[in-house]
Amino acid sequence: MKIVVAVKQIATLGDEVEFTDDERAVDPDFLDYALNDWDSFSTEEALQIRDRSGEGEVVVVSVGDEDAEEAMRRCLAMGADRGIRIWSDALDGADPITVARALAEVIRREGPDFVFAGVQSADSVQAATGVALAELLGLPRVAVVTKIELGDGKAVVDRELEGGIVDRTEVDVPALFTIQTGINEPRYATLRAIKQAEQKEIEVVEPSDLGEPAYRVRRMYVPEKGAGAEMLDGSAENVAQRIAEIVKERLK
Amino acid sequence: MDVLFAADETRKTFANLGLWEKGLWYVLILVSTGIFAWGMWRHARKYLRGRSAFTLDRPGRRVRRAVTTTLSHSWIRRRDPVAGLGHLLIFYGFVVLFIGTAILAFQDDFARPILGFDFWHGWFYLGYSLFLDLFGVALVVGLGVMAVKRGILKPFRLDYWRPDRAEGEYDRKPYVIGDWTFLGVLFFLALTGFLLEGFRIAIANPDFEVWAPFGWLLGQMFIAGGLEGGSAESARLVTWWVHGVAALGFVASIPFTKAVHMLVSPAGVAVRDDTAGKVLAPIPADAKPEEVGYGTIADLSWKHLVDLDACTKCGKCHEACPATSSGYPLSPRDLILDLREQAEGAMGIRSALHLPPLHEERESILGDPIRPETLWSCMQCMACVEICPVGIEHVPIINQMRRRLVEQGEMDPLLQGTLETIYTSGNSFGEQKRKRGRWTRDLDFEVKDIRKEPAEHLWFLGDYASFDPRNQRVTQALARVLNHAGVDFGILYDAERNAGCDVRRVGEEGLFTSLAEENVKAISACHFERIFSWDPHSFHTLRNEYPQFGGTWTVLHHTQLLLELLEAGRLMPKPLGYTVTYHDPCTLGRYNGVYDAPRQVLAALGLELREMPRNRDNSFCCGAGGGRIWMQELKRDDTPRPAEMRIDEATSLGKLDYFVVACPKDVTMYEDAIKTSGHQGEIELREISELVLESLDLDTVAVGAAADERETNGKEPV
Repeated sequence: MKIVVAVKQIATLGDEVEFTDDERAVDPDFLDYALNDWDSFSTEEALQIRDRSGEGEVVVVSVGDEDAEEAMRRCLAMGADRGIRIWSDALDGADPITVARALAEVIRREGPDFVFAGVQSADSVQAATGVALAELLGLPRVAVVTKIELGDGKAVVDRELEGGIVDRTEVDVPALFTIQTGINEPRYATLRAIKQAEQKEIEVVEPSDLGEPAYRVRRMYVPEKGAGAEMLDGSAENVAQRIAEIVKERLK
Repeated sequence: MDVLFAADETRKTFANLGLWEKGLWYVLILVSTGIFAWGMWRHARKYLRGRSAFTLDRPGRRVRRAVTTTLSHSWIRRRDPVAGLGHLLIFYGFVVLFIGTAILAFQDDFARPILGFDFWHGWFYLGYSLFLDLFGVALVVGLGVMAVKRGILKPFRLDYWRPDRAEGEYDRKPYVIGDWTFLGVLFFLALTGFLLEGFRIAIANPDFEVWAPFGWLLGQMFIAGGLEGGSAESARLVTWWVHGVAALGFVASIPFTKAVHMLVSPAGVAVRDDTAGKVLAPIPADAKPEEVGYGTIADLSWKHLVDLDACTKCGKCHEACPATSSGYPLSPRDLILDLREQAEGAMGIRSALHLPPLHEERESILGDPIRPETLWSCMQCMACVEICPVGIEHVPIINQMRRRLVEQGEMDPLLQGTLETIYTSGNSFGEQKRKRGRWTRDLDFEVKDIRKEPAEHLWFLGDYASFDPRNQRVTQALARVLNHAGVDFGILYDAERNAGCDVRRVGEEGLFTSLAEENVKAISACHFERIFSWDPHSFHTLRNEYPQFGGTWTVLHHTQLLLELLEAGRLMPKPLGYTVTYHDPCTLGRYNGVYDAPRQVLAALGLELREMPRNRDNSFCCGAGGGRIWMQELKRDDTPRPAEMRIDEATSLGKLDYFVVACPKDVTMYEDAIKTSGHQGEIELREISELVLESLDLDTVAVGAAADERETNGKEPV
């Protein structure tokens, strides 16, 4: 049983933001970094499957510069066996399709039984990398997975739909799943374990062909605050009356 | 070898035993001391199997401390003078009678037969008789005091109620029987001793025996009752054997009963680590997961194994513990007793006093009998360690077991989330690092970035003082006070991390190490003379625990700095005239002994301080310590929280203007508790800095208004 988990070091933003001089990215001074929340769940799920099957390997793969190894260390500290970090300068600020191409090249080489990715990353929130990766690898994929049951050459998975509906699907293995938060309770990686995980191997790979970018960021900005908001105060009666007036006005 | 009569006052020993009877007696002595020695060896072997602890530095001082605290009973008398007196009488009664017996043995078995020297007569004999007689009475009175306490007064600390088990889930009857047997056996020994004396005096009734007044009195009573001469002689013989065999039986039983505390407890005091619980030991970097903390009996250090045997079940920790009294499933006493039962079962004398199951030496004791919720209930406030008369280290023992739980990832999700937040953001609020200095923006002066320019003082803030809106008001007040006094200070801004005091107390030693290393690195790169903090947790850890990471600085609590400024005339307060009470923060008081500085500041502000019953070293934790502020509630619903009990305690003093604190977590806890305990409007909370600022009569409107506005927009702390 070999499971590859694609993880990402995400940037977190506070309530203040400034952009770089070319206005195409957030000034790194305003960013902190962390392991993408979804990825701790997908790592945990992979570890549980490995441990239940009693053999196998969990490999974490990430696209990122050297700093991204901090997020990978946490996955290794949780129990993943080794890591592969993919990086070239061309991947700086890359779109999800380009990232998926970089991942696909490495994962194809690994030939895993399962590929897990988080549903989305908390910073760019596109939910695209995982599904694009499945396409590139030619694997069946199920998105927003909340439960996995393994059978013989098959897997039965629950995927979450709108409105609390669950869709139970049977897929052939190998397959790619994008994992939803709440599927398990990710274990705690002690700092001791994170330190000791420094001894686990992280291979660094440079991608050979990333192809054409799917998009380029032209400008980042904080949108103008919407004008015309009217704060209503006074008694409930007055507020209700004013709302009714506004609705009537707008319906005209 | 019948006793030769001296020309002057003395008496016959051995009740006129024949040779073979004397022989039998010496055989019994050998058997008794043999059993005693075997039992003590079993204990010693148990300690020798413990993990290594700290080095026993300054042995002379340690022995001196054990001797003086034992002789003076200074630790035993604290917070219970009656039991202290009872114990003192028993102790001195027992010791003097023991020494008396030893003198007699020396005279009979060594001085006379070998040296041919006889001293047990004349004035020495009379003094000896008087002394032993009086101390025999002291022993009986002391036993009486203890029996009254146990049987009639029945204080909370002796009731064996367990907060961590349901009614019927445990049985403490064996302990109760053991306690009463111990009292009973000592009483029986004293009683038969006095009877023996009475019978002996009744035989010949020499005048000089009036020097043993109570024995003499008994003798006269026997004579008056017609018991003298031959019948007294046979009564004496029987009593002699009963007393003698009982005494030998008692000696043999010492290692197997609570009497062992007579030997182990003073030893525990001698080997006590003064920094126990205050400065926790690091985990070696190369430790394997099964070597982290305590998960089995085999993991305990020899010192902690000694602690288990030293416990006398006096219940002082049980009474002092804020978790026990506010309905958390933890009693430090029962935790120690559970561990002792396991240690006895696994490595030594198998005691009858245990609840099944017992575990093997290397079998996990976490879960059963030591429940995780018991360990997580601890506030690491040190109330138990501080009051323990025999130097037991409950707090580091609990911390070691927490370390194992953390290593195994067994903790509540809230706590796990907080630790992960601290790891990723460097603070427990999950705020961005760059927001650390945001509170300075509301001030009308710049606060130096000490990374860029030197300052006399480095101000280490701590998370609550930096990010919590209510606490930011205190931080700003203190900044204004210091600015007004012309104090040259700067802060670390983005480079400050959570100091790690509570992270360490939770048991996440790795994260603590990483935080400490980052802070030490950041601080070491700055130029300053002293560090201060208004957070006692940061103050404590920087001052006492960062030396383990190479950070050796002069660290002050802000109350100490404020006192310096007041004494130097750099702050000229106008008297405020309020009536207040003051809550000693655990990490400032019990951890660091800073009790007077805050009180002196309050006095300098012209405040009348009314002390709560539990003050200074007996201060009652707010309930936030040891990481509890980051965990889900574990207590029963039908008891008030520690902070609410504390507000009740304050308001019971009569009309007070302010409940004064000197710790950011106290600000948070007691602001809440004033609201939830139903005392809103009766009392308000102030941090000392806020009162100092008020006394300076500066214009405070600007700061307050800006902070208030942000508070309404601010988010709730984690």
